[in-house]
Amino acid sequence: MTKLLAVIERDLKKFKRNPVVLAMSILMPMIYLVILGNSFQGKLTDLPLAVVSQDQGPYAKRLMEYLMAVQAGPRTFLVLPMDDQRAAVDGVRAGKYKAALIIPPDFSRRVAVSGKPDIGLFLDNTDSISADTIRNLIDAALLSIRSEYVPVREPTGEPLLRDINLYGKVDYYQSLVPGVVIMAIFLGTLTTGAFNLVMDRFLGIEESYLLTPLSKGHIVGGLIISGLSITTVNAILIFMMSVLITGIPFSKGVLNFFPILLVVLLTTLCLLSLMFAIMGRIGHPRIVGVLSGFLNVILFFPSGAVYPVASFPGWLKSFARINPEAYAVDALKSILFKNAGMGNILGDLTFLALFTVAMMSLSILTFKRTL
Amino acid sequence: MLRDGKAITVSGITREFGPATAVDGISFEVDRGEFFGFLGPNGAGKTTLIRMLTTLLKPTSGQAIVSGFDVAEDPARVRKHIGVVPQAMTSDLDLTGRENMDIYGRFYGIRSGERKERIEYLLEMVGLAPRADDLVATYSGGMRRRLEIARVLVHKPALLFLDEPTIGLDPQSRRVVWELLKKLMQGDSITIFLTTHYMEEAELLCGRVAIIDAGKIIAMGSPAALKAGIPGNDIVTLKVGGLTDEIIGAMEKLPFVHKVSREEDSLAASVDNGAENLPQLIDVVRASGGAIVAASVHEQSLEDVFIHYTGKSIREEEARKVSFLIGAGMPQRLGR
Repeated sequence: MTKLLAVIERDLKKFKRNPVVLAMSILMPMIYLVILGNSFQGKLTDLPLAVVSQDQGPYAKRLMEYLMAVQAGPRTFLVLPMDDQRAAVDGVRAGKYKAALIIPPDFSRRVAVSGKPDIGLFLDNTDSISADTIRNLIDAALLSIRSEYVPVREPTGEPLLRDINLYGKVDYYQSLVPGVVIMAIFLGTLTTGAFNLVMDRFLGIEESYLLTPLSKGHIVGGLIISGLSITTVNAILIFMMSVLITGIPFSKGVLNFFPILLVVLLTTLCLLSLMFAIMGRIGHPRIVGVLSGFLNVILFFPSGAVYPVASFPGWLKSFARINPEAYAVDALKSILFKNAGMGNILGDLTFLALFTVAMMSLSILTFKRTL
Repeated sequence: MLRDGKAITVSGITREFGPATAVDGISFEVDRGEFFGFLGPNGAGKTTLIRMLTTLLKPTSGQAIVSGFDVAEDPARVRKHIGVVPQAMTSDLDLTGRENMDIYGRFYGIRSGERKERIEYLLEMVGLAPRADDLVATYSGGMRRRLEIARVLVHKPALLFLDEPTIGLDPQSRRVVWELLKKLMQGDSITIFLTTHYMEEAELLCGRVAIIDAGKIIAMGSPAALKAGIPGNDIVTLKVGGLTDEIIGAMEKLPFVHKVSREEDSLAASVDNGAENLPQLIDVVRASGGAIVAASVHEQSLEDVFIHYTGKSIREEEARKVSFLIGAGMPQRLGR
């Protein structure tokens, strides 16, 4: 026991003496929340749309009014009226505008007379998300300009969709919190635990520790426990800060906290064991650097933290089924947004525990007590 | 604990790395209380041997009994009884000197009170007490080495292994480490096993030396006995203008000359009583048409013993191996 404690204390002391690492491991997931929250927002806004109207007729005006209404309301696009058709199209090519809408001189006349009006929309289709959004909105606009009046009452006889939210309102920022906590855990487990073994090996310090009576269990166990304490404290801190920033309500108060702590602890243990299994024999920190980006992508994106697992193609769905981060995200989402009790997250916890045991056994098996 | 009083008994130990044989069937014994040294150039197999004796590498074949236990079968018990200072610096830079020692002491399960007392005593002994609470990152190379020696003494090992303890140290720090090791031998009843490629280190410290080259022991004995075992007792070095093979031939005919080796325009001759025979040697060179540019006489050293057995000097070996290592771009592995 003294030996195990000595391994843990050594590791914690060394961590404490590197305040930059400490600050970075708290700051980075927070910045991540802000960047991800602002770059991947649910709805698109302020897409620059060049509009060249060569028609002064009533329908062209009505179309313009509709576009201005979208700009004032959901702000999906920014309408930029222009005179020169060529300049507008060139602007789309140059990436200045997401699309250019050209309303020809005979537009209103053809709407009124032939009913077969033509209108040109030049789209930057390399950005398919923006292009689809703009096309759908212009389609809707073209349908609406023929309505002579704004309906006051809802039309009768048509089915009406009434959405009923099962849970309290969750905005986009809030929905990212489980992902940010998992990210904090991932970063923590990457830079503690097995990584310290890699560093000791790289610096040649490991040799002295292998020469002492410490057992495999002391070395692996000690590093995992110190990594667990650092990462858990870190993740809980980040969790509380993101809750404050995004304003997630705590309906059960402190009662919610214990299941969350449990999920954080188990996820940390799970990822620490995974890292040990992967890095147990690596001798150069550069390999860890290369691995970290890769592991982050294959664990985080298919976890359901940013995009629903249900929408993945089959093969990716199968991968999500063995991805521990997917279970951790699911458990955290259930507790945070669905007020789930322990019963609902038991499946997630069981998977995480089994995964931990498997990886831990693999690490101890592959860890070498000799050089 | 120690069977038949031997600290180390090695028989036919061999270690292969792929097709290369680093240690090739070495056998030797070290008595308790001995200061035993392995002398040889880098790459001779010293570090591989010490790693096998200290349980870090498994021997390919052969057996080693260290402190009474087989290194391959009972590594945990061997580790409990020995102290090892590896060639690379292994103290933690982010911890203070005292913390380094304290953590290490706890790895051996030494109780708090005893540990503190022992650490104070050792820090004092190696002259680091005033800097004990500074981070090791602020220490010089010599201080770090002294700390590492103090650290492996925390659990009072009966057998101490040191792998090239003064490599990379300046001459002054080297002398401090030597004094420390000498003091250690006087005090406790400790056995020390040391490897080095410095002749003067082996000569100064070791009671017995094994000379190792290419994984094999080529000579073993006390430094005095080793030197006595090769012909002649002095080396005469002559720098000769107009050096020819005839001059060398004439020299070799002299009764007191044992061997003459040539390097460009210089000669090294192993002779009996070099100082008295020098005038005669010079006469012979001149008579054969050579012009003496410089002359010196020195007593034979372990270096000359190494030359006698291998036909090359440790220094030459050094220069070749180090430039190879640096050329291969692996300086941080140099110590391995």
